[in-house]
Amino acid sequence: MIELLGAGVTVSLPASGTVRTRELLVPTTLELAERRIAVIGANGSGKSTFLRLLNGLTLPTTGQVRVDGLDTDRQGRDVRRLVGFVFTDPLAQLVLATPADDVELSLRPLVRDRAERRAEALRLLAERGLAHVAEQSVYDLSGGERQLVALTSVLAARPTVVVADEPTTLLDLRNRDLVRAALAALDQQVILATHDLELAAEADRVLVVDAGRVVADGDPAEAIASYVRLVRA
Amino acid sequence: MNLFGLYLPGTSWLHRLPVGAKYVLLLVLTVPVLVIAAPLPSLAALAASMLLLLSTRVGVRPSWSLPRPLLVLLAILAAYQVVVGQPGLAVVVTANLVTAVYASRLLTLTTPGPVLIDALVAGLRPLRVVGVDPERVGLAVAIMVRSVPLLLDTFEQVRQAARARGRERNLFALVTPVVVRAVGQAQATGAALAARGLGES
Repeated sequence: MIELLGAGVTVSLPASGTVRTRELLVPTTLELAERRIAVIGANGSGKSTFLRLLNGLTLPTTGQVRVDGLDTDRQGRDVRRLVGFVFTDPLAQLVLATPADDVELSLRPLVRDRAERRAEALRLLAERGLAHVAEQSVYDLSGGERQLVALTSVLAARPTVVVADEPTTLLDLRNRDLVRAALAALDQQVILATHDLELAAEADRVLVVDAGRVVADGDPAEAIASYVRLVRA
Repeated sequence: MNLFGLYLPGTSWLHRLPVGAKYVLLLVLTVPVLVIAAPLPSLAALAASMLLLLSTRVGVRPSWSLPRPLLVLLAILAAYQVVVGQPGLAVVVTANLVTAVYASRLLTLTTPGPVLIDALVAGLRPLRVVGVDPERVGLAVAIMVRSVPLLLDTFEQVRQAARARGRERNLFALVTPVVVRAVGQAQATGAALAARGLGES
């Protein structure tokens, strides 16, 4: 389970000779235990900061974030083995040239034998219906294929939680449905930020973030309604 | 276009050559000409690397074609040497750079990326005693190979954006966005690796 214990993020910004601070996330305390959690909010509201706290990509400047009791600050490496992170732009995530190479990279710490590792990478890609693109350049894939490869690479590291930052934002309707179906079928806990309110409605719990503050938290229908009121107020 | 070339499966002698021997071949083609710094040896190394690439039978285009930003860079470098009165050095610099690209392709076109990393990691293992982490170095080299075409692509995008605003000749307008984007890409790659628990000691 992931716990935020008074976790907040403040950054320093140089401004005309002085340094001013900006609070990206006010100190927040909550537990994230549900299987499917959606985080919604306007652009710049603090959704990504919130998500990046969950696997230690961003560290809290106050308070603590714990994953199964592990502190993201002091035990970041162990936390990142438990919590996989899917980025909005899959090209920012795919480090090697082909899907097979990239998935194999995730498997390096887990499978020592090269032939076994390659076979496992190809098996994982085939499982997601990506066998036909396994040896292609990641630049030649469609947006949906890239996002599914990124997801496969993350899952290859065998995390227990998958955090996804707007995984469907750059996709057309067909690819969005493919990624949605893939996320829905995962056994892992999934915590995702999204502007897609249909996707958010499928969650067990929805958090609404506004100006760095969780302003609504709970039943998807109620939280989404409060977000819509907030935006249109 | 990938500067160093994406692995293309095949059965040529270079595909079958052990990866360690390919690394040695790369060094033989690139290091002596840097030391000698004379036009004839540089042109000979270039010709040798071109012929070796053809022997991989992956086709002329993936073997010899060069991305436009690199051609622009080569032209600028050659022109500078000619202007400062060193035409011989113009030949040496451009030939050595193209040889380096082609010699790298001999390795990358005929060897899958993970095999390259494995070979580097194995080769660097003895350096563990002096604190070198072979996994990190292998990963760094793999990312470097992937980053060069990304940088060239960024340069081309920025050049077109500058041209659209009639500022193509303004060096500052070209270099600043390329550097800013390169730093952004490096940060994104670091975050992507960290997110998978890779590259951390």
